[in-house]
Amino acid sequence: MANASKARAPFAPWDRREIAGAFSVEETARRAGHYKWTEMKLFEALGGWIATVPELDVKMRLGTHCYKHAWHAELWHKRLPELREMNPDRLTLPANDAMVRFIDAMTEPESPDQTIEKLVGVYRVLIPRFIAAYTYHMNNTSEITDMPTIRTIKFILQDEFDDLRDGEMLLQSLIDSPEEAERAAAHQARLEKIMVEAGGITGPGSIGFN
Amino acid sequence: MAITVSPGTFDFVSFDAAYIERIAGIVAGQLGVTDIDFSVEIDETSALNRISTDASVTPVRIMVHSGAFEDKRRPRQQSEIDTTVSLARCMLRARDRLRGGFASAPTDTELTLAQAAAWDTYIMARLSRIDIPVNKQAWHYNWRNRHGFNDHSDAAFERMWQAESLDWDQLSSASDAARSVSA
Amino acid sequence: MRKFMPADELARDERFSQTTQRDRMADARTTVVLNGDQNRRSNNRLTPERNDASEAARALMHGIFVGEIQALEGAGRTCWDFTTGEEAPFALKLDMARQAWDEARHVEISCKLGDWMGAEIGQYVENTVLFEAACSNDPVLRLAGVNRALEGLAIDVFTTMKEFGEIAGDPYLEFCEDWMLADEVTHVKMGSDWLRKVTENDPERRKKALEFQNIVDKMFSYGGSRSESDESSLGIARRFRELAGFTDSEVDYVAEVSMQALNERKAQIAERQAAAAANK
Ligand SMILES: [Fe+2]
Ligand SMILES: [Fe+2]
Repeated sequence: MANASKARAPFAPWDRREIAGAFSVEETARRAGHYKWTEMKLFEALGGWIATVPELDVKMRLGTHCYKHAWHAELWHKRLPELREMNPDRLTLPANDAMVRFIDAMTEPESPDQTIEKLVGVYRVLIPRFIAAYTYHMNNTSEITDMPTIRTIKFILQDEFDDLRDGEMLLQSLIDSPEEAERAAAHQARLEKIMVEAGGITGPGSIGFN
Repeated sequence: MAITVSPGTFDFVSFDAAYIERIAGIVAGQLGVTDIDFSVEIDETSALNRISTDASVTPVRIMVHSGAFEDKRRPRQQSEIDTTVSLARCMLRARDRLRGGFASAPTDTELTLAQAAAWDTYIMARLSRIDIPVNKQAWHYNWRNRHGFNDHSDAAFERMWQAESLDWDQLSSASDAARSVSA
Repeated sequence: MRKFMPADELARDERFSQTTQRDRMADARTTVVLNGDQNRRSNNRLTPERNDASEAARALMHGIFVGEIQALEGAGRTCWDFTTGEEAPFALKLDMARQAWDEARHVEISCKLGDWMGAEIGQYVENTVLFEAACSNDPVLRLAGVNRALEGLAIDVFTTMKEFGEIAGDPYLEFCEDWMLADEVTHVKMGSDWLRKVTENDPERRKKALEFQNIVDKMFSYGGSRSESDESSLGIARRFRELAGFTDSEVDYVAEVSMQALNERKAQIAERQAAAAANK
């Protein structure tokens, strides 16, 4: 470092971030509100199910994951006022009616012999949709103006991937007959159909396709 | 051989005196003490898990609080396994005292906590080798509480667990030596 | 999935067996060593000095394990049972989700400690009193029951166990209890703070909540197993309770009802034992 006052470019040669982004402040807030609503529904369901699953390892995982999604909801709750929405509750909404029906169907299983259905709804349908919507958002928003959202999503995605792996491995360990494989697939298809109707976590356009 | 069980009927717990007597007979056979008379006395008013033996009298007294025969999963019900294990512990201790080189050992109530733990280790290890269900880790924990949580104590436990034939002097000095590091 | 779950429906695998507080109180046997016992043990406080220390600690550890499961379930149910906003503030539910994670770790810790002490899962009967007593359908009462009474009991239990580990020289036990104690103090504090906040403008509701807490505290004194007397296996952890936001008079109250519970239980046992003796 010969001369400390020598002029340097504001963006280092390796810093290739672009200013352009697909989302306005308003659109970002809309999406954040849907993320928050859905993360809330997820943590509430996971919390409720803890007492209904007899499998001890699943019980403890649900308790752990319950908190992570509550924390995600909190991150979005805190992000909303930074996106000019001073009343976060106003945007804490489902993307559409189909999404409400999806959550109702996902949280329907209750009896202790339905652990497979509970886990399928979360780890084979909803969390993959979260990963998709978050990834699309992260890759399409402005890397400069909306860096706070990107940072938030990166934290959340780390959790989602970890939890997806946990949930999928629990499912693989629980499904051990052709009948159970059928059960899991049938429940997944039932929920997936509603999710298709909803268009993803933020509705149609969740991952760019309308 | 005579085994008597008292009381004959129970008010506080759902135990069966005849069943206890039958189990005692089987255990006595397994331990080769069918020549010794035993009186099994149960204090059904106490839920504690406690046993003691008085081998200085005839018949040998086995004194049991009801918790020692109880099914911990079904309160007040008798457990075959717990009854077996508790009776076997008492009978083996009596056998040690009467003909196992433990004549000079203090009475049960005068044993130090460490001595009692060492003797229990020696007893439970031998029971485990005649297929009586014993949780070794539980007895290791008991040993550690009395001899210290360290490698020296663990090694001494392992030696005690493997021991086939000890007398009181050998057992008590092994216990003292194990304690010397943590003390 | 329904809102509100009865304690007898808590899902368990085949290893577990359950009992209720009513069954437990119907057991007229004593767990208290009375005077005249030939034993060197002069009191029932769970310390390594007790003859049956390792067995008693193991049984308590299993009790902690199932208690943590119920605490986990209770915290989780609070996330589900109450509508956000109308019935329970968003931030309160976030705290309960955090508590669910903490309790899940406590279950994990208790499993490891159980292995260490030679306990097996389901070896002892599970008393569902914690869930039964604490999980009211009113969110404010639930906070009082779970976060103050139940978690307060947890503070007493962990303090006793931590001391046990210290005296016995068990580094593993002491380490784990120290960490769990930190979490439980946090949980009680959450309860204390929320109770104050939620009932800020509703003194009647606060009064009701505190009354409920008192009732649950009395139930949790378990017929005398917790009190400041050495005849109880568990003590009352004054210092940690104060750290968690209990006032002196609240701790005094717990001490008082616990002592009452101990005395009532002793009288009840003496009466039943005398009746049984008279029948012989
Ligand atoms: Fe806990
Ligand atoms: Fe807690």
